[in-house]
Amino acid sequence: MFKEWRQSLVSAKNILPVEQREKPVINQENQIPLLQVENLSLAYGKRVILENVSFEVHAGEFWFLLGSNGMGKTSFLNCLLGLIPAQHGAYHLHPVLRSRARIGFVPQQCSFNPSLATSVREFVSLGLVGIETHKSEREAALHFALQQLNLTAFAQRNYWSLSGGQQQRVRVARALVRRPYFLLMDEPTNGLDLAVQSALLEDLARLQHEGLTILLVSHDLQLATQYATHVALFNSGKVQAGTAADLLTTPILKQLYGTQQLPHCPHCLTAHV
Amino acid sequence: MFDDFVSSWGLFYPSYITGWLVAFSLSLVGVFVVAKDQIFISAAVAQASSFGVALGLWLSLATGIAWFGSDVALMNSAVLFAVLAALFSSHSIRRDSVEAVTGWIFLSASSGAMLLLTHSPHGTEEVHRLLASSLIGATQFDMWVFVGFAVFTVFMLLRYWQALLLFTLDPRMAATTGLSVWRWGVFKALWLGLAVGLSIRVSGMLYVFACLVLPALVAKRLCGEIGRLLWVTPIIALFASGFGFVFANHYDFPPGQVTVAVLCSLLVLVWFLRANQE
Repeated sequence: MFKEWRQSLVSAKNILPVEQREKPVINQENQIPLLQVENLSLAYGKRVILENVSFEVHAGEFWFLLGSNGMGKTSFLNCLLGLIPAQHGAYHLHPVLRSRARIGFVPQQCSFNPSLATSVREFVSLGLVGIETHKSEREAALHFALQQLNLTAFAQRNYWSLSGGQQQRVRVARALVRRPYFLLMDEPTNGLDLAVQSALLEDLARLQHEGLTILLVSHDLQLATQYATHVALFNSGKVQAGTAADLLTTPILKQLYGTQQLPHCPHCLTAHV
Repeated sequence: MFDDFVSSWGLFYPSYITGWLVAFSLSLVGVFVVAKDQIFISAAVAQASSFGVALGLWLSLATGIAWFGSDVALMNSAVLFAVLAALFSSHSIRRDSVEAVTGWIFLSASSGAMLLLTHSPHGTEEVHRLLASSLIGATQFDMWVFVGFAVFTVFMLLRYWQALLLFTLDPRMAATTGLSVWRWGVFKALWLGLAVGLSIRVSGMLYVFACLVLPALVAKRLCGEIGRLLWVTPIIALFASGFGFVFANHYDFPPGQVTVAVLCSLLVLVWFLRANQE
């Protein structure tokens, strides 16, 4: 799968327009889910965060985890990353992901010390920790990751001298340098202006079309309606998961977000009709 | 000046070499302390290590068992308390922050060391000696201990530099790459504790604390990449201790304090240069 994906990245010249993104790239590995969540419950002490969450993520899908603050989206992500244990139930990763070498993670913020100068190249290369590679392979992986996010020209620049949007792209490049099958992102668009958000999501959508599976935590319904193939809606410890077309409808979103005005989205209009 | 130093070499070479090895090793460990901006933690660990030495001396006086006051016992006690302090100071306790815990360690170790030895003969003098730093008493045994520690430190950095760096700067990210945060946390605490605990009895708190943080702080201002700290930091530490020892020998100053003064001056110099550049 990785070879196919790598070849597809090298040869990909034409990017599908947004409206054709409903069907992700299907391949043989698609038969086994990349991630299978079974009756997963999370709790901090006696406080239950999530109860009996179950859904499957297949290769090439673009998932948005949506919900208000404190609904357990980031806790769920932390559980997938192995940072907090499940109270009940379990999640199963595809065999190729079990070593975690092919899982990329983009945190919401960088916890590095801002007074410590670090070049973009050095920052991205830290994404290769835990992967044994030859120097030439490391160089190739670095070049690939920087190129994917149009960061080659910034390679020697200090990470801290970049704008917020550029820094976020560098964090994505740090995840991509592992050549992941599965990319997990924690609110990557927070604090970015609309143009930068849009550019970042376009890059992610291109990568998804080239075979990458993405699971992204977000508050932004507008972005979800534009880019998600699937969504998981987190609300009061419960999770509704399914295709964006099925779940991003006015009645469901009203139930989730109360009386908040909903963004324009084709699925919502369909539901009205 | 240099001739004076060479003529003193035969008598003091274990102290000189030990002092340089302490500076070299601690400066490399200090890269991670400075990278995480944990300056105060290193002071607390050094102070806890001093408490370990004070406790050993007190036990030997209180129980009459001379072994407690032996070099080996004092070294073990210093290392033990430094490791414990490094382990505890990297965690918040309940709702109190890491800084609060670190402050508690520093203050309780400072007052504890003084209280333990106040009523013993030469006790207060010994505590002051630990705080003030004196490199003169280092032996050949100390020298070989630090040769071993320096080799271990270089090996670990060559082999695990990136993993250590990622764990230090971003433990959550490190965990997602498959690194065991718990294991690396314990290793880092042991490494810092060992570095400080081994050094404190030989070179004192002032020299230990200075070598941990000042070379890396100077290098941080000079380097455009974290990776360069790995070789710039020990060069600065060796330059400062080399110059400091020669200067101190010629003008009859304490070498530890002169080295610290050189490092402090270098830091002011790079602050000034950077301010001009910016």
